[in-house]
Amino acid sequence: MLITALLTTVLVTDTVTLDKVSNLDEVLIVSNEGGGRRRSVKGQVASIDEHLGELRNVNLVRRGSYAWEPVVNNMQTERLSTTIDGMKIFYACTDKMDPVTSYVESGNLQSISLNSGLNGNPQATGNIGGSLDLKLRKIGFEAGPRQINLSAGHEWNGHLQVYGADAAFSGYRAYLNTGVFSRAADCYQVGGGQLLNFSQFSKVNVFANAGLRLTDTDVLEGTVIFDRATDVGYPALNMDVSKAQGFITSLSYKHQFSNAGWETKAYYNHIIHIMDDTTRPDVEIHMDMPGDSWTTGLYSLLTTSIGDYNAALQHDVAVNHDLYYNRLFADMTMYPGGAAPMYMVTWPDVGTFNTGLALTDDVSFAHNQSLRLSAKVAWQQQRLNNEEGYHGQKVFFPLMTDRYYQTTGRIAAAYQFSILNSHFSIGTGWGSRAPTVTEAYGYYLNNTFDQYDYMGNPHLSNESAIELNGSAQFSTFNSKLSIGLDANAFFFKDYIIGHLDSRLSAMTVGAEGVKVYGNLDHATIVNASLTADWQVAERLAWKGKLSYSLGQDDEGDALPLISPVAWRTQLQYSHGRLQSELEVRGNARQVNYAAKYGETETYAWNIVNLSVSYRLKAVTIRGGAENLFDKNYSAYSDWNNIPQKGRNIYLNISIEL
Amino acid sequence: MSIRKYFGIGVAVLFGVVLSSCNSNDDLGSQDIEIPGVTFDGDIDCCSAEEALQIYRFIQTVKIIPELSVTIDDKYNVYAYTKSGSFHNGYNDIYFVATKKKNGNYIKNFDITALKPVMLMVKMNMKHSTPVSAGVSSFNGNYLAVKRGWISFVMNTSDAGSWTLAFDYSILGSKGTTSETDITVDALPAGQAWIKSFKVGDDTYYLSLVNPLDSKTGKNTVTAYVSKKSTPATTPYSLAQEQFEIEIDPRMPDMGNHTSPDNVALTLQSDGSYQGTLNLTMTGRWRIHLTVKDAQGKVVAGGDELSDGYSSLYWEISI
Repeated sequence: MLITALLTTVLVTDTVTLDKVSNLDEVLIVSNEGGGRRRSVKGQVASIDEHLGELRNVNLVRRGSYAWEPVVNNMQTERLSTTIDGMKIFYACTDKMDPVTSYVESGNLQSISLNSGLNGNPQATGNIGGSLDLKLRKIGFEAGPRQINLSAGHEWNGHLQVYGADAAFSGYRAYLNTGVFSRAADCYQVGGGQLLNFSQFSKVNVFANAGLRLTDTDVLEGTVIFDRATDVGYPALNMDVSKAQGFITSLSYKHQFSNAGWETKAYYNHIIHIMDDTTRPDVEIHMDMPGDSWTTGLYSLLTTSIGDYNAALQHDVAVNHDLYYNRLFADMTMYPGGAAPMYMVTWPDVGTFNTGLALTDDVSFAHNQSLRLSAKVAWQQQRLNNEEGYHGQKVFFPLMTDRYYQTTGRIAAAYQFSILNSHFSIGTGWGSRAPTVTEAYGYYLNNTFDQYDYMGNPHLSNESAIELNGSAQFSTFNSKLSIGLDANAFFFKDYIIGHLDSRLSAMTVGAEGVKVYGNLDHATIVNASLTADWQVAERLAWKGKLSYSLGQDDEGDALPLISPVAWRTQLQYSHGRLQSELEVRGNARQVNYAAKYGETETYAWNIVNLSVSYRLKAVTIRGGAENLFDKNYSAYSDWNNIPQKGRNIYLNISIEL
Repeated sequence: MSIRKYFGIGVAVLFGVVLSSCNSNDDLGSQDIEIPGVTFDGDIDCCSAEEALQIYRFIQTVKIIPELSVTIDDKYNVYAYTKSGSFHNGYNDIYFVATKKKNGNYIKNFDITALKPVMLMVKMNMKHSTPVSAGVSSFNGNYLAVKRGWISFVMNTSDAGSWTLAFDYSILGSKGTTSETDITVDALPAGQAWIKSFKVGDDTYYLSLVNPLDSKTGKNTVTAYVSKKSTPATTPYSLAQEQFEIEIDPRMPDMGNHTSPDNVALTLQSDGSYQGTLNLTMTGRWRIHLTVKDAQGKVVAGGDELSDGYSSLYWEISI
């Protein structure tokens, strides 16, 4: 069935009981699942980024209108784990223009789940801020003979066009999901009507997920995704992208024991990312900056339940072993007019072999309490395979070698109990992460955020953090009104961030200087949010959210890219097949911006969004207006304060056959 | 022409030798080694078959300068080689091999005691020489019968003037000087300047950067020579007796004069060369700005500031 409840009319308590542990958040993309969880008002036509934006603790760093970088609990990619159905995948752009979420399309996915903080999913490594898992769309066996979905969308601002077709076939022996999607936009207009140059993009995506039942207890599943974005503009940066291409494939074997499930998956993915400055005017020195990322890996996950479901104590245990090998290579060739080209290796073909063992135990007891325990230990070896890159970096670190080893781990516990209609949870954890390839071996990577060239530091210590979190949700007896308070705090040791080295000379023309990654003795990030849900009347619901974040370095100064006070409130009206929503969202002025780290102040803003959807049998039509009053604004997470879209009217249609 | 043919066959033979050597662990017996034009007749002045093969292999890595091949006393042949088979502005390694005419085999002990390049400046009708090594020497234990010297040309051949080269030899008792042979010295492409001069009082010194194209991204040990202009100027310029220190400041003019850290000044070594450390962060065009100090630490050249803020005395390399 296509969407039954686009807008959440389901009672809040349902949402909470669906999530066994309070720090798990999920955004649904496919419509044919139970209601109660978050989803985008644009339905399936929404981009991955728009879906991600629905998650509770997620903000998005925007460098253009494509490939936004998810930020969880005010931590960016380096402190997060992003997996696709448990598969590791690493971006290929030294300038972070291609977060791995950009290599899938909404139509490939069933849902996106987020484990906040250290209590990560079993395959996650290095997830201090959280772990995102993009769950692939699989219809499964015996789910009806076939489904065909067609969707098309148009957004007037930037002439975004989205077309998608996917089909699912399901039988006793086999199932198949397959589809093709395309998405393209011209440059968009900012509030006030001015065109923002270099904000165009286009992408195509094809995918297939298939399953084959070998016996009653044995299943083979495979995935192929091919995703290619071309002509992607990055108005916040000096360069665009001519090609960002991902090829993702996996094969897994599942065996069902009488009381346990066992899945082993082998996978491979390859990302090619090619930057392009040939369409920019006044380029001082033309540059070629390609990057490549190859990952191949394996995980084996055993899940079992111990204890009687009706008994007072039950354990849901998962044991996971994973290993992967990733190679990252990037280089840069610069062409000054007339003189010899200049060449440098910016990621020295770093081969990372990582293997980890994870254990999670979800314990339910006394019918109203649960405890989630999770732990993982991982070991990795890194080797610099490119001689030129290695020798280049050795100039700065004469004692470095071409091989490094790191051991990281995490352990977390969360306790939750419900009493009457209220829910409480507390959690704690410790976890560490190895420096990323950019942080350890990156070579003169220009960061347009603060205008410094960044040098990796192979002598960095692992970063670690202690997390404390808690939440309380109070509901009235009839569940008409509920108020929640969520908070978490991360106390870092050896927080990794760039430090100015005034001795070094900038490479990029116009750069202010060189920063070398280093460890701060300590740093703190705190997030708190207050939410309210009120079922005002049978057809009218109101939601509100207010969040506050704080990031401090070891001298008490602000860390960069920490959200100012933010709010979002929605008034939802549903009547039969009609759903509508009025939303206001905004940020306060960014008072604690990190001037020390090159951040500039962002001003307060508010925007109003309106959305309507109407379902007629197999056809759903959604329309709306974003930024209704055409406000010219940029959020704190807009790279170099590029302005957001001005008023945008959209209309999309989904047909299920 | 005969020499080229000789080498063509030689390469084929060498290939055969390498292949056969791959097929067994046996030491190469002399009976296995055949080099066309070379007869192993047990002449003690000449190389054994194994030694000759080493020389032969080395010769494959360089190129002959045909005009410098000479026959001496109708008994010996001397051949000269450079990396490219030609000369260019700045520092050039030059290699010599001598053979006996009767057996074609390489002579173990011979010497080239002086290299004598001279340029005739046509318009001014003046002659001058250029920095050279003090004779030649063996440079690698495997190649005892190959001698190496160097010439650092201050100018290239042009309408303004042309070069000749003669050398003094001493081969198994035969001593003499070859006739002045016309040679061509090519100009360097744009972005390359490997020899620079400076004056201290009335004396002119030349700074020759050795094999600059061997530099790579990363840490490089760089070698240079400081030569002093002779009086009269037609006498080849030998190494300066005065001691200097040469500070280096590598910059990329195309990248806003980007530089690298931890470069180490060139100082005098026991072999007469100057050595220092040059760090290059990438390939491309580098200007190595120089500040020359005398033994008392006084700046005698460079260290001034051009409009771009860097020393006007610089080598330039494009790698």
